[in-house]
Amino acid sequence: MDIIENNADIFIMLAIGFGLFMAWGIGANDVANAMGTSVGSGAITFKQAVVIAVIFEFSGAILAGGEVTATIRKGILDAALFTDSPYLLVYGMLASLLAAGTWLLIASSLGWPVSTTHSIVGAIVGFGAVGVGVDAIAWDKVIKIVMSWVASPVLAGTLAVIIFKSLQSLVIDTKDPLANVKKYLPFYVFFVGFIIALVTLFKGLKHVESLKYISKDASLSVMIAVAVGILAAVISAFIMRRIKIDPKDDKDFHYANMEKLFAVLMVITASAMAFAHGSNDVANAIGPLAAVYSIVEAGGDIASRSVVPSWVLLVGGGGIVFGLVTYGFKVMKTIGKGITELTPSRGFAAELAAATTVVLASSTGIPVSTTQVLVGAVLGVGIARGVAALNMRVINTIFLSWLITLPAGAIISILFFFALKGAFGA
Amino acid sequence: MAKNIIDGLFGKSPISPLQKHMTQVHSCISELNGFMVAIHAQDWVQAERIRSDIGTKEGEADILKKKLRLSLPSTFMMPFSRRDLLDLLLIQDSIANITKDVSGLMINRKMTLPDEIFDDVIELTKVCIKTSSMALKAVNELDELLETAFGSRERKVVGSIIKDVNELESKSDKIQHEIRVKLFPLESSLPPVDVMFYYRAVEWLGELADAAQKVGSRLEVLLAR
Repeated sequence: MDIIENNADIFIMLAIGFGLFMAWGIGANDVANAMGTSVGSGAITFKQAVVIAVIFEFSGAILAGGEVTATIRKGILDAALFTDSPYLLVYGMLASLLAAGTWLLIASSLGWPVSTTHSIVGAIVGFGAVGVGVDAIAWDKVIKIVMSWVASPVLAGTLAVIIFKSLQSLVIDTKDPLANVKKYLPFYVFFVGFIIALVTLFKGLKHVESLKYISKDASLSVMIAVAVGILAAVISAFIMRRIKIDPKDDKDFHYANMEKLFAVLMVITASAMAFAHGSNDVANAIGPLAAVYSIVEAGGDIASRSVVPSWVLLVGGGGIVFGLVTYGFKVMKTIGKGITELTPSRGFAAELAAATTVVLASSTGIPVSTTQVLVGAVLGVGIARGVAALNMRVINTIFLSWLITLPAGAIISILFFFALKGAFGA
Repeated sequence: MAKNIIDGLFGKSPISPLQKHMTQVHSCISELNGFMVAIHAQDWVQAERIRSDIGTKEGEADILKKKLRLSLPSTFMMPFSRRDLLDLLLIQDSIANITKDVSGLMINRKMTLPDEIFDDVIELTKVCIKTSSMALKAVNELDELLETAFGSRERKVVGSIIKDVNELESKSDKIQHEIRVKLFPLESSLPPVDVMFYYRAVEWLGELADAAQKVGSRLEVLLAR
C-alpha cells in the first residue's frame, strides 16, 4: 500500500485537476446541446441561457448527481479484483478522467458530436480490460449501459411524440389555441416540477448528509414534490398572464401569439433540462474522482460502500459552470443564430421529453447521454410531423460518433494508464 | 470551434422557399391583366414592357425553383414526401411558364382580339389570376399546417380554400366555352391563321387555371398521409 500512502496528496490533486478538466469539457460543449433547443427556437437569449444553465446545472449536480456517480464508480468495474492492488484502480480512474477529457477536447475541436457519457464509460472499460484483465469488467453492466443508449433515445422520442400529440389536440389544433395554452400548460409545468422534485428527493438527497432524512420519508417526499409542481405551475400561469398579446401578430401566422406563450414556458423547460443534465452528466466527471478520493482516504482499502462527499459534487458542478462560462457561451451563441426551424411549441415538447427521460434515467442510476436523448426527442417531434426538415445525414454522423467514442476513449485511457503505471510504479 | 450537433440536425425548411416561389409565380401571372388591356389598345410599347416584366419574373421564379431543389437532399426527413413537394414546385412553376408563353405568343403575332370576345378574354384572365391567388393562399397555409402537425382543423381550412380553387377553375372552363361559342360564327370573317391562334391563346389561358387547380390538388396529396 506504499504507493498510495506515499503519493496520497498527489493522487488527490491529480484527481481534482483531471476531474475539473473533464467537467470543463462537459460544460464547454455538452451544456450547449442541452440548452440548444431553447436558444435555437428563440425562446430565450443566450445570456439568459447561460444564467439558467449556471444555476440549474449546478443545483442538478449537487442535489441529484449522486446516484449516477455511484454507478460509474462501482458499476462497471468489479472492485473486488483490485483489493490486492488498489493503486491500479487509482491509476485507472485518473487515466479515465484524463482520457475522457482529452477525447472530448479532440472531438470538440474537430466538430464531432461526442457524448461525455460514452467517453468516460469507454475509458473505464478500456483501462479495465487491458490494464487489469477482461474479467475486471462487469460486462453485464456495460451491456446494460449500451442498451440504454438505444432505449433512452427511443423513450425520449416516444415521450416527445406523446407530449407533442397531446399539445396538438389540447392546444394547437383547437378553435382558440391562445386560451387553451393558458388553460393547459400549467399542467405540463406541474408535471415537470413534480418529476424533477420527486427524483431529486428520492435519489439525490440521499447523498447530502444533512437532508438525508427527507428522502427516507416517502409521503413527505411526494408532498414536497407536489408542492414544487404546483409552485412551478403557478409561476408559469403568472408569467403567461404578463405576456402582451397582440392580435395583429396573428395576421400572417395564426399561431404567433400562442408561440409567444410557449416561448415563456421554454424558460422552465430549459431550467429542467439544465437540471437534468447537471444531475446526469456531472457524474461522468466526479464518479472517478470520488473513487480515487475514497480509495486514497481509506489508505488503499477499497470500501464496499462510501458516500460521495459533498465537496466532490461541488468540484464537478463548479467545473461544469466554469466550462460553460469560459467556452460554452460561444457554442451557444452560434446555435442562437443557427436554429430557426424549431418553434417554441415544438422545442417545448422535445425538451420536456428529453428532460423527463434524463431525470428518470439518472434516478435508476444508468448514465445516459443527454445529447442522445435530446436528438431522440427531436426525432420524435419530427416523426409526429412537427418539424419541417430533419437532416438524417447528421443523425447518421451522430450515431457514428457514438460508436467511435467508446473505442477512442478506451485506447486513450489505456495509454494514460500505462503512463501513470510507469510514473508511480506498480 | 465546435460545430453544434443540434444545429446541424435541422435541415432548411422547404416550406418558406416554396411559398416564396408561389408568391413569385403569382406576381408573374398577375401582370397578365394589364398585358391583355395593352394588347387590346394596341399599345405595343406598353405590352412589350409588361411582357419583359413577365419574362423577368418567370426567370426569378426559375431561380427560386432551382435553389429549393438543391436545398432538398434526399436525406431529409420531412413531414411530407419529397416527391410530392417537388411535384408541387413543378406545377407552380408551370403557371409562370404558361404565362410567359401566352404573352410571348400574343406579342409575337401582334395579336388583336376581336371586340366580340375581348370582354370574355379579360374575364377569363381575371379568373385565372384569381385561381392562382387562391392557390397561393392555400400554399401560404402550409406553415400553419406544420404548426398543427397537419391537424384536422387546419386541414379543413386548406380544404375549403382548395374547394374555392376548384370552383374558380370550373368557372374558367365555362368562360372558355362561351368564348369558343362566340368565336365560331366569326371564323369565316377572320383570317384563318388568326382564328387558329385565338383558339390557341384561349386554350393556354385555360391551362393557367388548370395549373392553379393542380397546385391545389397536389397540396391535397401532400396533406393526405
